[in-house]
Amino acid sequence: MTTTELQSSSGTDRSRKRQRPIARAAAGAPSTWVVLIKIISLGVLDAVVIYAAFILALNEDWVLAAVALVAATLINWIYIRRGSLPAKYLIPGTVFLLIFQMYAIVYSGYVAFTNYGDGHIGSKEAAVEALINKSLTRVPDSPAYPMVVVEQFGQLSFLVTDPDGEALIGGEDRPLQPADADLEGDRAVAVEGYTTLDFAGVLAEQEQLAAMSVPLTDDPNDGALRTPDGSQAFVYSAKMQYDETADAFIDTATGKIYEDTGDGAFVAADGTQLMPGWKIDVGFENFVRAFTEESIRGPLIAVVLWTFVFAGFTVAATFAVGVFLALILNDWRLRFRRTFRVLVILPYAFPVFLSALIWSGMLNPQFGFINQVLFGGAQIPWLTDPILAKFSILMVSLWLGYPYMFLVATGALQSIPEELVEAAKVDGAGPWAVFRRIKLPLLMVSMAPLLIASFAFNFNNFNLIYMLTRGGPQDITTDMNVGATDILITLVYKVAFGETGGRDFGLASAFSIIIFVLVAVISVISFRRTKTLEELN
Amino acid sequence: MKVNRSAATAIFAGSAILALALTGCSAGGGGGQSSTSATLTVWVDANRVEEMQDIAAKFEDDKGIKVELVQKEYGDVMRNDFIQQVPAGEGPDVMVGGNDWLGQLVQNGVVAPLELGDTAANFSDVAIGAMTYDEVTYGLPVSLENIALLRNTALASSTPATWDELIAAGQAVVASGAAQYPVLVPSDPVDSDPYHLYPLQTSYGAPLFAFDADSGYDTSELLVGSEGGNAFAAKLVEWGAAGIINTSITGDIARDEFAAGKAPFMLSGPWNLPAFQEGGIDYAIEAIPQAGPDAPTPFVGVQGFFVSSQSKNAIAANEFVVNYLGSEEAQLALYEAGGRPPALNSAFEIASAENPDVGAFGEVGRTGVPMPSIPEMGAVWDNLGATQSALLNGTAGDPTEAWQAMTERLREVVGG
Amino acid sequence: MSVDTYPATLHTPEVNPRGEKSGRVPKGPSQRRRTARTLAAKYIVVILTSVIAVFPILYIVSASLNPNGSLAGSSGLFTKFSLENYINLFSNPAQPFAAWFMNTLLIGLVTAAGTVLLGGLAAYAFSRMRFSGRRLGLITILLVQMFPQLLAVVAIFLLMKGIGDIFPALGLNTHIGLIMVYLGGALGVNTYLMYGFFNTVPVSIDEAAKLDGAGHSRIFFTIILRLSAPVLAVVGLLSFIATINEFVIASVLLTAPEKKTLAVGLYQFIAQETSANWPVFAAGAVLAALPVVVLFFVLQKYIVSGLTAGSVK
Repeated sequence: MTTTELQSSSGTDRSRKRQRPIARAAAGAPSTWVVLIKIISLGVLDAVVIYAAFILALNEDWVLAAVALVAATLINWIYIRRGSLPAKYLIPGTVFLLIFQMYAIVYSGYVAFTNYGDGHIGSKEAAVEALINKSLTRVPDSPAYPMVVVEQFGQLSFLVTDPDGEALIGGEDRPLQPADADLEGDRAVAVEGYTTLDFAGVLAEQEQLAAMSVPLTDDPNDGALRTPDGSQAFVYSAKMQYDETADAFIDTATGKIYEDTGDGAFVAADGTQLMPGWKIDVGFENFVRAFTEESIRGPLIAVVLWTFVFAGFTVAATFAVGVFLALILNDWRLRFRRTFRVLVILPYAFPVFLSALIWSGMLNPQFGFINQVLFGGAQIPWLTDPILAKFSILMVSLWLGYPYMFLVATGALQSIPEELVEAAKVDGAGPWAVFRRIKLPLLMVSMAPLLIASFAFNFNNFNLIYMLTRGGPQDITTDMNVGATDILITLVYKVAFGETGGRDFGLASAFSIIIFVLVAVISVISFRRTKTLEELN
Repeated sequence: MKVNRSAATAIFAGSAILALALTGCSAGGGGGQSSTSATLTVWVDANRVEEMQDIAAKFEDDKGIKVELVQKEYGDVMRNDFIQQVPAGEGPDVMVGGNDWLGQLVQNGVVAPLELGDTAANFSDVAIGAMTYDEVTYGLPVSLENIALLRNTALASSTPATWDELIAAGQAVVASGAAQYPVLVPSDPVDSDPYHLYPLQTSYGAPLFAFDADSGYDTSELLVGSEGGNAFAAKLVEWGAAGIINTSITGDIARDEFAAGKAPFMLSGPWNLPAFQEGGIDYAIEAIPQAGPDAPTPFVGVQGFFVSSQSKNAIAANEFVVNYLGSEEAQLALYEAGGRPPALNSAFEIASAENPDVGAFGEVGRTGVPMPSIPEMGAVWDNLGATQSALLNGTAGDPTEAWQAMTERLREVVGG
Repeated sequence: MSVDTYPATLHTPEVNPRGEKSGRVPKGPSQRRRTARTLAAKYIVVILTSVIAVFPILYIVSASLNPNGSLAGSSGLFTKFSLENYINLFSNPAQPFAAWFMNTLLIGLVTAAGTVLLGGLAAYAFSRMRFSGRRLGLITILLVQMFPQLLAVVAIFLLMKGIGDIFPALGLNTHIGLIMVYLGGALGVNTYLMYGFFNTVPVSIDEAAKLDGAGHSRIFFTIILRLSAPVLAVVGLLSFIATINEFVIASVLLTAPEKKTLAVGLYQFIAQETSANWPVFAAGAVLAALPVVVLFFVLQKYIVSGLTAGSVK
């Protein structure tokens, strides 16, 4: 963005500045309170950024710290110098947009190149740890050992009483050996030279204790004692051994080897995987899958067609109804206009999922209001017939969506000068001509972009479809898991979150990006056809 | 330009002071943060949070560790947040949840195995089985829930031995004009309700997977497509055509109609009992009659507490879950919260002595099997529901073909 | 069907004194009858629409008054009348409904005000200034909103956790944090709405003010914003409604019971295993809709004030 002054005067402004610097300063100088707000806001911003950069630097997060500082410096520079007027007005909103919206998009973009999803959520270290913990199981029918935790020179040991009543002591990599312990009842509670930890002491060391394994004997195959609570120990044996040097798990019973094959999990030669795995980068694999996925490609044409119908109809119908109502309720002769306006926006004031639930009840074939009252008890399958289900979706979508258009149109109508309408009428234009030639074009000025945005929103209106029909009814004679009312995004959801053993966020993100590109292209094309970007004044 | 320069000075002076102030604040805050590890954070649903307070206070008194109960929306929200937050080092130490979440939790490595020690024997077998995945126990069971047959004692004096007889008896009551429906089975126009239909399905010898009480489900052995499954599919068409099982009757409607005394029988869980009591219905809770050659086995859902695998308070969490939430006192308190049979045997006995309904549902639950907890269950339910509703609505074509097509899809879903 | 016979008295007579005459003089008896018929038709349309709009909501109201009712069951509307559900809402200290209500109002109003301000500033720049990157900027803010945000919740959670590590007062479990996230959506469709409206305010007014010595900020705050009251009210209302019904992000960010919003708090009533407490939820939803209704009722004055028509001389 370059330095530009107010558009209306940019031509003359510069010359005037040269000629009458004093007058320019007086005319252009912001009022005192604007300066004050500016100073305070920038001050707060700088303080926050400096502090954040300081903390980030302490955590050696140099890149983020630098980005924060550079961004803050840029903002200061823009606001302190003269000029850059557009930037001054755009920055506040843009900062929030960049941080909170772009971040989410960038994150999705990043995830599309990973295998992030169920089973591949965390890091490899966490996965190894979880696998080790999972492989340790209590030896069936083995006895419980009463125990206390004792400490000597900062080293923790288990003091246990074995089933024969004998006291034993041992620690990590130090197998149990007999100890000459003090007994309390038949339970060893202390031993000379060691300090017995009370529960608070145990808690202070709980991370270490939870990971401790005390071998029963010198032979590791005899198992080891572990304690879940510091007062009892159990014999555990490992079903799986982790070999750190080979970076592989070995099944102790069968000898089967699970190796890290670069797929984000330990995999055996026969293809069985150990879960959890971990998150890795997979390059374009998700995109390849997105384009080759049979369960998407098969029904693709029908689904895309319906998606367009759904989004297109919803936009057109809500717009038509909304504008129509706005026009009618703009007639000052109608009484109770304020009340009527409130009534017609009511659908917008309730959570969508609540309304969707009500509608699915009203559309119930046998008991719903629509069939029972409006159709005299006919059993019309509103939600289970493929065609009727589509129709029902469209109607509910209209009901949910028109208040938005109504609100916007009501506001936008106020920008239409009454003189224009009057003038047209004087020229003999009928009501339809007035609407068609004067009101509609002027309404479109502010509403056209909204229609595009509304199309994009409905293109991905997962919630409505899912709450009303979950994409159904499904044609169960095909082997495709696709229903008559599935739109692209619900189909993607089914494939990415249901079919491959859990939710595959990587694949879902790849699909999101593809859908986004599709919608964006449509939007930009329709955008060019509107006159929104042109200078209208 | 003068204005600007002084503005710049003001900004920098102001921000320097503020930055210092912020540093001061956080120094204090930082000290507070390191001590928060002595707090046990527990995610719990709104229903249970009140009843948990006493147990939490007791733990705090005994052990000196604060228990922070965080109310969270039970269900997908809680489960997904747990899965996403635990690997990021956030999330709670302990979470309440359903056994059907377990597969996904284990798959993501976010739950820690839980050693119940010798107390495991004090819980009902089906409850412990439900909290076990791949032969490792992960949760402390708290309550069970399952469906049973409810009989309106004013309309039917006894429960017939078989499902067909039950239908006949129900139809007789309808014919007499005393009722409107022979039997109510909650359903849904689009998805039907495979959960409520499952006892009938198993009675025809077509459970989803092979099940063994010790090792749990073997999803590689898909039994749903057996000969019995075809018979069951044919029966669904028949019941649907005769209007005995009507997909228009949703859970809400079934509940309202039974509460209004319009049906002698209904398949229902304990959650509907308050409505029936309010409607003044005298009911009996009984086992679901046999429909096919086998005994019907309803699914038993088990709720319990899980410990996060990334908990910094592993020992405290373990102590709280096993020895406090596993105590009779706690199990009874949690029973008060939801009215579901407690998982601890001794608590169950006390609760059922106090409330025969609990005992009756618990009895039926003993014949049940745990709700499968494999991560693919969502897709399994979808497929089952779509096919069953098509069969009931008479839009499925040949029932055997439809059932076998569904079986093939299920095989793909579970990768068996 | 439409506004064919607008009497000129609606707007200031001096603007268009001839309009009055041309509007009234030629009216014969037949035209008057036609006017009456049009008006009657309008009443029918409006009443019919209102019925369709309100009817499904009656189910929610009915369920909220029935302590053991179901949401869409077979029982008729208003078979019972009891305030038990409403009393329940306020009687459970573990579920501080009153606090949720206030939180929601606060977050909703601040977000709405912030959206109007941030969006208005940007719209002003787009409408009144010409700079390179303007078209690109306009398209970008529209496209950004179109990204299907399947993962937004995860991303926002990680982001807010990071912010919270540095500034606990802005991070997880803070209202300011949540408002900031919502303000991330301030530049978007709303900006277009304001941009379109600003475009209809004649530049000649700016010019006049400039000659009177007003700076750009004064033109924006005292002229443009005032003349655009209808659209500001609409944007504020849209943002308010969107905010108070937002559930997904609020649920992840707010965990402490006393900090929750209505949408999050109420959802707990239905997020129980199998036994969703719909009646209490319905009661909460009805109360949550009240601020929207009240706000719209109040804002209508600004939305349809015809302020532009009066001031643009």
